[in-house]
Amino acid sequence: MGLIMGVETLIAVLVIMPFAAALLTLVVKDARIIKPLVIASISVLMVASVLLLIRVLESGPIAFSPGNLWDILILVLDFVLLAYFLYIGFTSRHPLILTLAGAQAVMLPVLKFYILPSTAKVDPVLYIDLLSVIMALVISIIGGLIIIYALDYMRDHEAHLKLDKTRQHIFFFFMIAFLGAMNGLVFANSLLWLFFFWEVTTLCSFHLIRHDLNAEAIRNALRALWMNLLGGAALVLGMILLWQASETLAIQQLMGLGTVGAALLLPIALFCFTGFTKAAQVPFQSWLLGAMVAPTPVSALLHSSTMVKAGVYLVLRLAPAYEGTQLSVAIAIFGAFVFMVTSVVAISQNNAKRVLAYSTVSNLGLIICCAGINSDLAIAAAIALIVFHAVSKAVLFLVVGSIEQRIESRDIEDMEGLVAKLPLLSGMAILGMVTMLFVPFGVLFGKWASIQAAAVPFSAWFPLVVGLLAIGSATTMVYWTKWIGRMISVVSFNRDAKVEPKSFLSYTTILLMVAGAVVLSVFVAPLVNILITPAESTMGYAKAFETAGWHLRSDWGLFTPWPLFIAITLALLLPALLIRVRGDQYREPYLCGANDPSGVGPTFHSIADQGVAVRTGGAYWEALFGERGLTNWINGAALLLLVVLFVGVFV
Amino acid sequence: MSSGELGLAMAAFMLAPVVGGLLTGIDRKLSARMQGRIGPPILQPFYDFFKLWGKDTLVTTRENLIWAWGYLLLTMVAVFMFFFQQDLLIIFFVLAFAGACLIFGAFSVRAPYSHLGAHREILQMLAYEPILLLAAVAVFLKTGTFMITGVFEFGEPLLPYLPLTFVAILIALGIKMRKSPFDISACEHAHQEIVRGVYTEYSGRHLALITLTHWFEIVLILGFITLFWAQPLWIGLLIALGVFVLELIIDNISARLKWSWMLGVSWVVGIGFIIANMVLIYCAGGFIRV
Amino acid sequence: MGLINKSRVKSPWIVHYCCGGCNGCDIELLACLTPLYDVERFGILNIGNPKHADILVVTGPVNHRNARVLRTLYDQMPNPKAVMAVGTCASSGGVFHNCYNVLGGIDKVVPVDVYIPGCAVRPEAIIDGVVLALDKLNLKKSTKVG
Repeated sequence: MGLIMGVETLIAVLVIMPFAAALLTLVVKDARIIKPLVIASISVLMVASVLLLIRVLESGPIAFSPGNLWDILILVLDFVLLAYFLYIGFTSRHPLILTLAGAQAVMLPVLKFYILPSTAKVDPVLYIDLLSVIMALVISIIGGLIIIYALDYMRDHEAHLKLDKTRQHIFFFFMIAFLGAMNGLVFANSLLWLFFFWEVTTLCSFHLIRHDLNAEAIRNALRALWMNLLGGAALVLGMILLWQASETLAIQQLMGLGTVGAALLLPIALFCFTGFTKAAQVPFQSWLLGAMVAPTPVSALLHSSTMVKAGVYLVLRLAPAYEGTQLSVAIAIFGAFVFMVTSVVAISQNNAKRVLAYSTVSNLGLIICCAGINSDLAIAAAIALIVFHAVSKAVLFLVVGSIEQRIESRDIEDMEGLVAKLPLLSGMAILGMVTMLFVPFGVLFGKWASIQAAAVPFSAWFPLVVGLLAIGSATTMVYWTKWIGRMISVVSFNRDAKVEPKSFLSYTTILLMVAGAVVLSVFVAPLVNILITPAESTMGYAKAFETAGWHLRSDWGLFTPWPLFIAITLALLLPALLIRVRGDQYREPYLCGANDPSGVGPTFHSIADQGVAVRTGGAYWEALFGERGLTNWINGAALLLLVVLFVGVFV
Repeated sequence: MSSGELGLAMAAFMLAPVVGGLLTGIDRKLSARMQGRIGPPILQPFYDFFKLWGKDTLVTTRENLIWAWGYLLLTMVAVFMFFFQQDLLIIFFVLAFAGACLIFGAFSVRAPYSHLGAHREILQMLAYEPILLLAAVAVFLKTGTFMITGVFEFGEPLLPYLPLTFVAILIALGIKMRKSPFDISACEHAHQEIVRGVYTEYSGRHLALITLTHWFEIVLILGFITLFWAQPLWIGLLIALGVFVLELIIDNISARLKWSWMLGVSWVVGIGFIIANMVLIYCAGGFIRV
Repeated sequence: MGLINKSRVKSPWIVHYCCGGCNGCDIELLACLTPLYDVERFGILNIGNPKHADILVVTGPVNHRNARVLRTLYDQMPNPKAVMAVGTCASSGGVFHNCYNVLGGIDKVVPVDVYIPGCAVRPEAIIDGVVLALDKLNLKKSTKVG
């Protein structure tokens, strides 16, 4: 009894408490109260998520059904939400939103009152296994830290915009409510509940994108809304088809059905499509790119670490249901394709947030590809990537946000030599990129595992998938390396010794997350042991790694994180500590001898004895990798792949 | 691994720079002969190395020097892992980190030639990285493991099964050796429009370090080629040597080409060949089943 | 330091700078690289970058405009280093020595170790000069402490 009570309380804290705290911030409005309130509720949330982890580790997955009243409440709120979306579509004269929200508003009652018998009950409504808990940890801890970061950020943001009246309470209302919705989403076993939380995240995303209320923000918010509503419509349609095929709306029961026939695969394909829209996979990447107009904590929370992860979560969650089908292969190809093309386009971007957005889409594509490969190793890689990508990408978004507030630009070209001007922030940014990019950090562990998984002939199409992954890995390397290169390009003679304006909360949260990314990478073996392998086994997959000696041995390879860590740290740290340079050893860079010593930094001695400062710029190779040339092609190709995916269901 | 094998691996690791230096010496001698010259002594690269080691170091930025050491040490880690028969994918990832250190070194000083070289080096990486990763995958298809030990346990030479992959690796080798037509970011022979690209701002001891690293890299890539005929190993070594000479011939009969051309060749021909090879293996059914 | 001294003699890398003569000496210098003279057999490389070079080879007379460039190139070479004035102009200003814009031989700007006369110089003379420069280079000490 005590155990159940505890679980009930934990779920209430994780799902309902954020909504309550959000309402409270909306009501009090006062920044002096919002700050402690936010910090307190986030702390509770973090503790609760850890307690939930302990509980699930001790006594296995939790199945839980709240009373019928809650079902009714969810249904009512569903209609309220859809009515609100219709209202938005109506006031903004957006036919797509009207159509899509309208379609849902028609299909949902049809499902609920016409197709579903009144006795139909999904049991359990909530099912919390380790995969859900991992997601909840990401949502509560990383998401929580991002919101704490936002406290300082939004103060500076509003000061910069010179607003008469603060709109912070609205901002934090949606941010905190979003955490509750995400937790609900990953706990839900009933698709009806999942649908509700799904739509709440859509709502939060819409409002947070348009938060600054300028024309661009409003336009992009509407685009995000219709694309996400398209996913929602697919979800409802999938539910209708699913009930007709199998008379169930419970995710867990899908796994037991075995996937025979198109009747069952079609709804699953629709659910995956829903996931693709939420994860902003090509051809829906434009909403995520547009979402970058939002204040940076929004980008960090919704558009990289958590909400878009709901999309891959759904695809991953359903992986056992479509295991061994052609749909699975199609998903793998689609994911690998998105991984490759978006990382190619990212090369051409000089807007830091767009690079991060493309990189996010790209990594989500990789996770979806892993889900499609659908082997023990691939699923482990997918879960690892969800965790590591969330941490590193949150760091990068937050750092870019802070950098932007200090240099008033998000152009990578303006970040030239930033290590000299903002050493701490740039250091964290570079470390964040290194954790995304290099062995032996966690993201690379995931990439290593996924390339291995793709190399095993899981289908006749495996050469295509592994080829796309290999190219994507190389292109990923390019855009990060270039960016780091811009930041470290310094002039030795004239170091700007400006004091870096630090703000305590934002720096601390970023530092914590950078440290988290590094520590998690060092301790990847226990992480795999404690979380990932058990999470996989509750999904019905076998153990993918032996972790003797904290090395990770898969069936086909060996990854040795800590010896590599020691080697690489020594290789970079020892020279950094030991190299001494005397003042008389410094020389200016080679400029064909035409150096002008009177200049600040390297200067050309030019016509009429004028000094012309050396300027260097990053290359973006737009002719080859540019959005303009590629976007239509990749959208077309992705649409084609989606059509193939759906047609493949029937074959 | 037995203690005898461990000793052998350690000895190979120690000898790697010597072999790399000698190969570079042979390279310069042979190239000179192909051009109708007498050429420097075989030991010339070692003279160059020690001379550079004994020179003063001029510094543009301190970071520049740190990355040079990182480049050397990380490449050594990759070579070490290679001789201790570790995971091929991880070796290539470490090698990529090392390569990135060279790029960061060139980027860490605001200097036009160095940046130009760094950008071109990035493009070179973009060209050869997928080839190396996919080649490891192709090897895996036959041996059933990414561990180099698997190549020796396989019991048969790989080359008859992976001819197209082998051709693709030649492209990667050419890029890594900085040979025409792929000497895009920094040529062995300076005196071109980007001065010496990524190397431009280095001098003295740190230039010596980079030379040393280059020797390690050559040994690593040639070592990888040797794996294509590991039973018996001496045939593999002969093949690697033959490929090395072939690369010199290509170097001497071709001009440096544009980076877009390099990218096209390595992606279309290189990746295309490896994928075709995989399809062939798959169709023949000769892969390790799981 | 025996090994390093020996290597130094066997590996002189040159950087060539033309102060602006008639290009006759430059052509002869480049002729040294051709198969006929093949200076690479002595380990000599035309490295094209002062930061990598041991010997600065200058042709042509120094003038007000390029004195600064010459000086910068010299400064950007790491020790130990040597300077060769190749040709009459570089040695003394040659036919240009009375021009209003010409300072004279390059020793007005940088310390010269070897003068190679000739208008234009013969490749054999240049090779001879490099050998002379090597002897002087060997006497020079690195400024490195310890």
